[in-house]
Parts: sequence; structure tokens; C-alpha cells
Amino acid sequence: MEEAVNLLISELKIKIIDTLHFEDVRPDDIVEDHQLVGGELGIDSIDVLELVMMIDKDYGIKIDNKELGEKVFANLTSLARFIYENSRSVGN
Amino acid sequence: MTGVRVYITGMGLVTSAGCGVSRARDVIRNRGKRIRPLSLFPVSPDNRLPVGEVDGFIETGGIPRTHQLALTAAREAMARCKEVPDAVVMGVTTGGMLTTEQCLKTGDGDPDAFKYHSPSSVTEYVALELGCHGPVITLSTACSSSAAAITIALEMLRAGRAGTVLAGGADSLCRLTYHGFRALQLIDPQGARPFDKNREGMSVAEGAAVLVLTASESVPDNAIAEILGAGLTCDAYHPSAPHPDGAGALQAMQAALQDAHISLQEIDYISLHGTGTVDNDRSEAKALNALFPDKKPLMSSVKGAFGHSLGAAGAMEAIVSALAVSEGLVPANVGCDLPDPELKLEPLMTPLETANIQTVLSNSFGFGGNNASVVIGSPRRGHPPRSIPVKEASHLVVLGSACLTGAGDADMSLRTVSGGKSCRGRVPDPVLSQGVSPREVRRLRRLPRLVLALASAVQAHSQLPDAPGSIFFGTGWGALSETYDFLTNLFESGEHFPSPIDFVGSVHNAPAGQAAIRFGSMGPNITATGGDASFEQALMLAGLMAKDRDGTLLVIGGDESHGSLSRLFDRSVGSDAAPSDGGGCLCLRRSKSAPGLKTAVMFYETSANNPSVVSSLTAGLGDGERVREKYGAVFAGIPAACRKRGEEQLREFLSISRFDGPVIDYRRFTGEFASASAVAAVLAIRCMDGRELPGGFYGGKKVHLKDKGILLVGLGDIVTAIEVIR
Repeated sequence: MEEAVNLLISELKIKIIDTLHFEDVRPDDIVEDHQLVGGELGIDSIDVLELVMMIDKDYGIKIDNKELGEKVFANLTSLARFIYENSRSVGN
Repeated sequence: MTGVRVYITGMGLVTSAGCGVSRARDVIRNRGKRIRPLSLFPVSPDNRLPVGEVDGFIETGGIPRTHQLALTAAREAMARCKEVPDAVVMGVTTGGMLTTEQCLKTGDGDPDAFKYHSPSSVTEYVALELGCHGPVITLSTACSSSAAAITIALEMLRAGRAGTVLAGGADSLCRLTYHGFRALQLIDPQGARPFDKNREGMSVAEGAAVLVLTASESVPDNAIAEILGAGLTCDAYHPSAPHPDGAGALQAMQAALQDAHISLQEIDYISLHGTGTVDNDRSEAKALNALFPDKKPLMSSVKGAFGHSLGAAGAMEAIVSALAVSEGLVPANVGCDLPDPELKLEPLMTPLETANIQTVLSNSFGFGGNNASVVIGSPRRGHPPRSIPVKEASHLVVLGSACLTGAGDADMSLRTVSGGKSCRGRVPDPVLSQGVSPREVRRLRRLPRLVLALASAVQAHSQLPDAPGSIFFGTGWGALSETYDFLTNLFESGEHFPSPIDFVGSVHNAPAGQAAIRFGSMGPNITATGGDASFEQALMLAGLMAKDRDGTLLVIGGDESHGSLSRLFDRSVGSDAAPSDGGGCLCLRRSKSAPGLKTAVMFYETSANNPSVVSSLTAGLGDGERVREKYGAVFAGIPAACRKRGEEQLREFLSISRFDGPVIDYRRFTGEFASASAVAAVLAIRCMDGRELPGGFYGGKKVHLKDKGILLVGLGDIVTAIEVIR
């Protein structure tokens, strides 16, 4: 499981950079356990919704309430774990 | 001093309850709720959410739904008014978007199919049908658009620029707003429940609301209510989220009360913005609790009954407010069963039919932090006659100027044209991103970057320490990249995966909102749109709204060139082989004493069914002799799509005025884009700074301007005049 989650983390870093148009961020700049929303990257509520749409599209998982969203988007590890636990098509 | 006051003398309304004020009145009386699952266009079953949809209005004769809704409301408002209004001011956010979406989906590449795309085409259509030549003004400040339209109309009437103004707003449902708000997770699956503990969002709706506003020194017989005052502010906080404490909303309410010269205690009822979203209702509640720490007036939102009709909402609620003062009918806050205790508000749970309501405050807040509050009173509330100081001429002092063209910044553009060359072409990408970090602009595409670059350049040029207080932005076509990407992604994903970032960026007022955030500009933040006369509209609105105390303001005109959409929307672009874009920005101030050049819009009329437009233009400038005395050169803007007619109009103007100085056909060197006149205005100002037209402007011959000014005329569908004088 840890290996799959780590793979997901690497994949999500690239997707986040791409989805949120970070021209000046490299995958290594996103630290797994750092606060994802409101942290050093400046990710805000609109960005979270953009990521929600990406996760629905790429992993077939809906995140449609605020309480769940706050838990899932705490950091990159929690996001990867959530996707791993809810997806049957990891890595697609 | 004058005692002119502004009265509502006619009202027209189309809501999800149907056509007519009476239908809406019945729904309010019966505490009805007119929200049901979307049926206007197909969506997948799991995406089918409740909306406020209007029955009927099948598209016929190529006239889009928004235009039909607007005309229906306008005709009802005008039913008992025999005279043609002097001006039409409407708030519209998406215009013919529903039709545009259909055409883009089917790959229709005929620009004719898109001729009613623009929000301004709604206002122009209504004006043409009613025989009004203008000014015809379209405001696009998201959900506050038509409250802003009422505010502008109020200022026009107070300033004596018009005797009667038709003011309102219209928007039909379309995929852009429906899926956009869905992507933002702002639609309540149970229908909007404003201020309810369990509220989950709004209900997107459609409709049109139009008021006839009449200036008069005494109460007209047909007066329904009086517009006592209005206030516009900007949060300067976030592109879509409201300020968490409702700071801008509070300031808008305070500004409206101050403008109306009334005290807090005089407010009997508040027509709340109350969309039903968690954050909106919370920030409005915080603002209300700050404004009314003790006893609060009656209050309710009608958005749980009719939904949120975006561009129409502000005017619709002005009509609701007028019904409260004229008939004593106060709506219930439909949708709210359990008021959220956190909000500390008591929205009205059942309608009142015979309340004694003398004064109403009506709130409208929108994306970009655009806030508007309007105060509406009973015409017979026994207020002492009002004295409003007559405004000085609408001229504003120029403190700085900047433009961006295919040649680069203002210095480069001036040098290029002075050398006899053209500054056509798209603004080079590095110029657009100068002085900003990639992080700051990562979500912004071409138009907001252009606007930020212009605003930064003008601040540098004016060398003023203070940030501008207010921002007036004119754009012919808005943020095309964001709009195109949103719709393309939507269609490609089978209408499943719309982008929230692109939706927020697609609204016309997004770029001006970005500029406000950059500078912390919390004064009025107004976006106007009107094809080739968009910059002229923005400058005219600045002249109306600017007050001495406001400090400096920015007037910006800008348009982006987009590979697919520019050619379809702007018929002048279609005939231009090399696409161009850019814009101009002026830093201005109202001042009687400050030295510097002065500028104002002198004339604005549409030319359709208006054979005397050119003689009206000359008359509007004084007469031929004054034109010859005052101006050392004429800069003529003739859009390619109306070249023949524009050249005829120019010949007629030169013949009537007998102006024989240099005439500069500036689109020959700016290229074709809607706000080319903003670039021309900046170049004219730079020429006047040097008191001469460099050789390249006029066939290689240097022209000394001496102390004379420059007149910029816009020709074609809309005939305009801006003067720059000493």
C-alpha cells in the first residue's frame, strides 16, 4: 500500500503543477506533509475546487462536501491516501 | 443648486414566476417558490440541479433568449411612458452566451451567428427597439451589474445628462453560468435556502428587470418610488469569494445611506443579497450586524423564491423594494426554515401585505468583490426637498497614461508611429508579464495580464505614491481565453468537468477585480462593455462617478486577441490578416486646480436609425467654429467592419464642422481591436505633452498643436467623441 501511495504522490505533484498552472514550481517543491491549502504554494479555495474536478475526471472520485474536502486536502499524503482508498483505477 | 430628484415611474419584470410584475407579486404574496430542475438545455441526470427558469421564450429570428427577456421587461416598463428614454443603462453578464454555446458546439464558423454575443448587444437591441439613440451603456460587474446600472442612471439624471433613463438588467440561463457555479459547488441541490442553518448554495436563475427612472423637481403623478441614493465599493480581496467580514458590503451600505442623506433608523426594510451560499450569507450578515448593532429593520432575500438571476438580480430587487414602499408588500425569506443562529439575523418568515415601509435598502454583491447598495423610498415620505450641488463639467485631469500595442509600451508605440511605422500586432508576451512573478499571475490569461500590466505602467508613469481609489474598465469582448477554455473543456468532457478557475476568470469584470486586488482599490470598480466604444463608456462613467474626495482613478480600455473567438465575435478583426490587441490606461483625478491635460467624453450615440447622428455630434461639441478653434487634430477611429459608413460619417463631420486640420485614421496603425481607441487616447495625450504631432502621424509632416487639443471621434455603429484639452 505504501508504495502505491508514494507512486500516487509523485503523480499528484505533477498533476497539481499542471492543473494549477504553477510555472515556477517543481515536483520536489511540494512537500508531502506540508499544509496544502493556504500554505507556501498559495493554494486557495478556487484551486481546491479545480483539483476536485481533476480528481473526479482522472480518478472517478467525487469530493462534494466541505468537511470531507478539508480532511482530504490537509496535505498531499492525505490526498493520496484518500484517492488510494476510494479508487479502483490507481495510476490511470 | 438644483432640486432634481429621481423617481421610478415604470417597472417591467420577467422572473421564473413568468412575465410581468403582477406574476412576481402573486408569488411573493403566496410565499411561492419558483425553483425547479433545469430543463432549458440537456444535462446528465446526476448534474441536474434546481434553477429559476422562465417558461417560454423560444429563440426565433436569431434573437437570443436574454435579448427577448430584456425587451419584454422593457416594454412592460415603458407601457405607460410615451416618451423615448434619453439613455438605456443595463447590467448584463453573459448576453447571447446561450446562443453562442450552441453555435460553438456545432462548430458554426459564421460570424453572423455570433452578432448578438456581447452583453452590450442586449442593451443596444432594447435601445434600438425603443428608438433610443443613447447613451446606451452596458455594465458587467457580475451579480451587482444591474444595481450598478441603477447607480449610473441615478448619476446621469442628477447631473442633468438625461431626463429619463431606462435602467435594469437581464440574463438568461446558459451553460457557462450553470456549470460554472456547479463547478464552484455553489448550487444548493434542494434549491436556495438563504440564511438557513443548512444552506448549501444558490439557485442560478434567469430573468430581466427594467425601471423607468425620471428626473423631476416635484413628485410625478406616476411615481412609484424614489431612488434616494446608491453606493458602490469593491472588496479588493479575492476574485470570487466575498470578504469574510463583509468589509466592502458594509462600506457600500454606508456609502448608499450617505448618498441618500438618511440615517440608519430610517431604514424600514432591507432587500438582502442573500444568495444562499455559506460564505455570501455569512459576510452579508457580518456587515449587517456591524451596521445595525442593536435593532435591525425587517429583512429578507427573494432569491429562495426566484433564484439568483445574476445580471437581472439587482434591478429585480429594486422592483421588490419599490413594491414594498408603494404597496406595503414585504416578501418572506423563502427557503429559510431554520435561521442560522451564527448569523444573528431574523429574516422575515412570512410575507407582510400592508406594512408601512417608507425606506428600503437593497443589496447586491458580486464576483470580483463588486458591491452595490441602493436606497429606495416612498415618493410621498415627506422628505424635505433635496439639494444636490451641480457637478462641474465631467472633465478629469490626466495624471498619467500608458498603453500596450504590438510595438510594446507607450514610449515604443509613440516612437514607432512617429517613425511612420505601424504598431499593429499582438502585445508581445514578455511585455504582458513584465514586473510580475509567475506565481502572482498563474491563474490569469491574456486579458487580466494586459490590464495588470497597463495599471502598473500608468502608476509608474504618474509617479503618484497613492494607489487609485476606483477603477473603470472598458472591454469589447472580455476574457476570451478563459471563456473559450471553459467551454471547450466543458464540451470535450461531455459537460461533466467544467473548470472553476476558468469560470471565475471568464466574467467581464475579472480583470478590473484583479487590478483592485493589486492596488487595494476599494472605491467603485466598474466594468463596461460596448464593442468599439467600450473605452468611451468607461471614461464616461468615470466622469459621472468621480468625486473630488475619491483621489485618483484609473480608466482602462483593453481587449485580447484570441485565435478562435476574436474573428467570430468582432467583425472588424475578421478582415485583418495580422491579429492585433492591446489597450490603454489613464490615471485621472477630478480637480478644479490641478495642472495638466483634461479629458472628457463629449458625445455618445448609436447610429442605427439615427440619420442625424453626425450633425448631433457637431452640435454636441458646440459648433463648427468651436471645433476649429479648440482642436489641432482629429483622431478618427473607423472599425474595419464599418469602414465605408465610418468614412462617410467622417466626411460629413468634416464638411459640417469645416475642420481642415490633420485627421489621423488611427486604426491604420493600431490594428483592429475593440479598445483601439484607448491606445489612440494615450498617443494623443503623449502628442499633446510634446505640443506636436510627430511626422509619422500625418504623412511625414510634423504638426504644431500649439495650445490646441485633440478630438478623438469614434465612428461606425456607435459615434463618440472624446476631447483632450489643456
